[in-house]
Amino acid sequence: MSQILHIFYKDARRFWGEIFLSVAITAAFAWFYPNTWIGPDHIHGAMGSHSVASYNLQIIGGFLLALVPVSWWLLIVRVVHAETLVGDRQFWLTRPYEWPKLLAAKLLFLLAFLYLPIFIAQCALLAEAGFKPFSFIPGLLFNLLLLTIVLVLPILAVATVTSNFARMTLTLLGVFVGIIALGAVVQRLMPNHFTAIAGASYTTQGAFTLAFCVCAAVVVLQYALRRVWLARALLYGIPALLILASPFAERIQSHHPRIDVNYPVAANPPVQLAFHPLSPSYQTYETWPDTGEVLIHTPLQGTGVAAGTVLVPDAVKLEVEAPNGVHWVSDWQGTAMPKFLAGSQDGDAVVSIPRDRYEQLKSMPLTMHLSVAFSEARETRVTRMPLPSEDFSVSGFGVCSPLAGFLSPFTQATGLLCRSALRDPPLTYIGVVWSDTPCDAPHPEPDQGVQGAAWVGSLDRAPADLDISSVQQVHFTLSNSIYERSNVPRHLCPGSPVTFTEYERVSRTQTSVTIHDFHLPGVKVSDGQTHVFTTTTTTTEAPKQK
Amino acid sequence: MNSAILTQSLSKTFGQTLAVDRLGLAVPEGAIYALVGANGAGKTTVIKLLMNIFRPTAGSAQVLGIDSRSLAGKAFNRIGYVSENQDMPEWMTVGALLDYYRAFYPTWDRALEQQLVRQFDLPLQRKLKNLSRGMKMKAAFASSLAYRPPLIVLDEPFSGLDPLVRDELIEGLIERAPETTIFLSSHDLAEIESFSSHIGYLEQGRLLFSEEMSVLSDRFREVTVTLSVPAPLPASLPPTWLQAQTVDCVVRFVHSAHNDSTAAEIAQFFPSARDISLDPMPLRSIFLAVAKAGRLRAPSQHNQPAVKGTAA
Repeated sequence: MSQILHIFYKDARRFWGEIFLSVAITAAFAWFYPNTWIGPDHIHGAMGSHSVASYNLQIIGGFLLALVPVSWWLLIVRVVHAETLVGDRQFWLTRPYEWPKLLAAKLLFLLAFLYLPIFIAQCALLAEAGFKPFSFIPGLLFNLLLLTIVLVLPILAVATVTSNFARMTLTLLGVFVGIIALGAVVQRLMPNHFTAIAGASYTTQGAFTLAFCVCAAVVVLQYALRRVWLARALLYGIPALLILASPFAERIQSHHPRIDVNYPVAANPPVQLAFHPLSPSYQTYETWPDTGEVLIHTPLQGTGVAAGTVLVPDAVKLEVEAPNGVHWVSDWQGTAMPKFLAGSQDGDAVVSIPRDRYEQLKSMPLTMHLSVAFSEARETRVTRMPLPSEDFSVSGFGVCSPLAGFLSPFTQATGLLCRSALRDPPLTYIGVVWSDTPCDAPHPEPDQGVQGAAWVGSLDRAPADLDISSVQQVHFTLSNSIYERSNVPRHLCPGSPVTFTEYERVSRTQTSVTIHDFHLPGVKVSDGQTHVFTTTTTTTEAPKQK
Repeated sequence: MNSAILTQSLSKTFGQTLAVDRLGLAVPEGAIYALVGANGAGKTTVIKLLMNIFRPTAGSAQVLGIDSRSLAGKAFNRIGYVSENQDMPEWMTVGALLDYYRAFYPTWDRALEQQLVRQFDLPLQRKLKNLSRGMKMKAAFASSLAYRPPLIVLDEPFSGLDPLVRDELIEGLIERAPETTIFLSSHDLAEIESFSSHIGYLEQGRLLFSEEMSVLSDRFREVTVTLSVPAPLPASLPPTWLQAQTVDCVVRFVHSAHNDSTAAEIAQFFPSARDISLDPMPLRSIFLAVAKAGRLRAPSQHNQPAVKGTAA
């Protein structure tokens, strides 16, 4: 222990300037960042010079946020290079340094001058946002773990395989350029319809785990053995292979039986799906770059969802049978279909189909089996309240503020802006009642106004999301926020009812619908782009349980 | 006698370059062993192999009974290492450097430290980066002697130093000699001749010989043969005769295996010899002869010993 402390004190004495800079930046961030949160104070500052000031606050806050990891980079590089692990001339190589103690001293340094300041800063931000920091200790620690995996450990690992600050900087630039180049390659290899499928994105977790293991292995390898070339090969080679392999991993994942395992066919499907050709969305078309794939929109109607339940479509799969015997089955593809609530609900299932397959099938009446994988979530908590005129806390969700829009009078709220601690809030349905007239004008009772709603949050939540700030702004747009007649924002008046309905996943399931005599939409190529038109189809619809 | 350093077929390659070639070396405890050789001969590489700064490509080395590949941490409590090329924590003052190192060594002798500071006239308040090269080396010496290590390893410790500083360092080193083994490398023969007890000669990574200084001096003789009539050199000369040349009636060469029968052996080759003189050689002349002989060897003979010696 004495050797650890001895090296630690030496580094602390030597790098007091870097420590001061890093702590000062972190403190400035913690002090200033709350100014970027748009709260009730900003109701008065939505226009004119105030909006410019608000914009400047956002810029400065964002700048300080970006400076924090830069200061960490400086701190980590300097302290590691104090006993650099690359080269054969370092004084410490022939002194009685014990590598576990040397590594421990460096980690202690980071604990004292990197982790502790950011931990305190995050607690201060939580307190400033209206949360009790000590209620979020596990989440704060998890956030530090994520920051370690994504920022600290990679910088530490690169520092252990470089000999000085200039080389480290060049290496990081090289890694950055390499990631962009590899990303471009991956982009070309990746299926267009790629979307992480909830509950099955194990490749992401695997990538994080592997990145952590590789960086940790490099650090330990370097401190224990100083095998520079082996460490460099590990550090640069494995992530490059990982990035290059990611499209294939996603393809494997989309074929993987695990999705069918995670989303079993329900005996009593929680929703009855039916083809709904009269849906307005069916008349739309969309353009799509010439990527060799065509998007097929299939309008569906969902009924029979139990009260207090929401069905979140996670993925879709299409199986097509043609009269000439052609049979084609898509992968499971991520979907942006709207959620299904009690009552009747419409939504487009969009499936990507290869262009050549499309050409084979387009002129024939087809039988389509469309499967949809759902997360079924139930209400766990409903919070109803009259809208306060200032910050208000919603248990389990976060802290919200009335928000002014750019076109409204200064004192009128035209939306809500919420903040959550450490992560996305749970999947929540927010309902409000709009007023068409300004709040200070005589108008009917608030609850007789126009309904507004928004979905925010997610069902899949870790203890914390990766972020330097411990407070996240929850962005959402409430429906019906514009008064159509005059095209001006509606108002949220103090005292009008606001409802937060929180949902929690209870199961995953899949259901399907069979559509007969379906004709694929027509396509024409124009100006280098493929235009996909939906088409009229005579159909018979048959909700089917798979 | 035990060996403080013992290597067996120690080799190191960098890419295609063979830096150390099957080195067999034994440094007895208590010796002051000088490893000499021209620049690029591989002396620094050998020392870095011994100190586990480099890993050997083949072979092995034992340092104070520890495999060099395991040399780390506490093992360096017993080794003092000073190198002309070592990066030091230059932001520290001399005093801070000594304070910092002191905590690492259980055997650190504070009185000896103060004695060395006085002896080397070290400015404790000055930062290393502001010191002259000589002062830096003195600080390095002081920080490597103060814990009384049983083995001191020095890589070109006197290179580029003025004679005064050199003498001061050598004096400090000799004072430690009774209690320690000293292994140093140098390409300056004059500086090590006065105090080394053993010597090894390295050329292109190969140890040409390794023996006690007195034995070496006894073994080499500068031979001058005066003939009655001019005569060419015999076609085949013994391999222990180096740099043989003839001018008129005089033949000169270096005999590298001198003993009591040397004169008789020479007389057999030169029956018309009027006079044979065998003169002792200074170390510098011995090494020049050996080095030149090595360079004149044909590539096919490269792996054959140039000089018969007592290499370990």
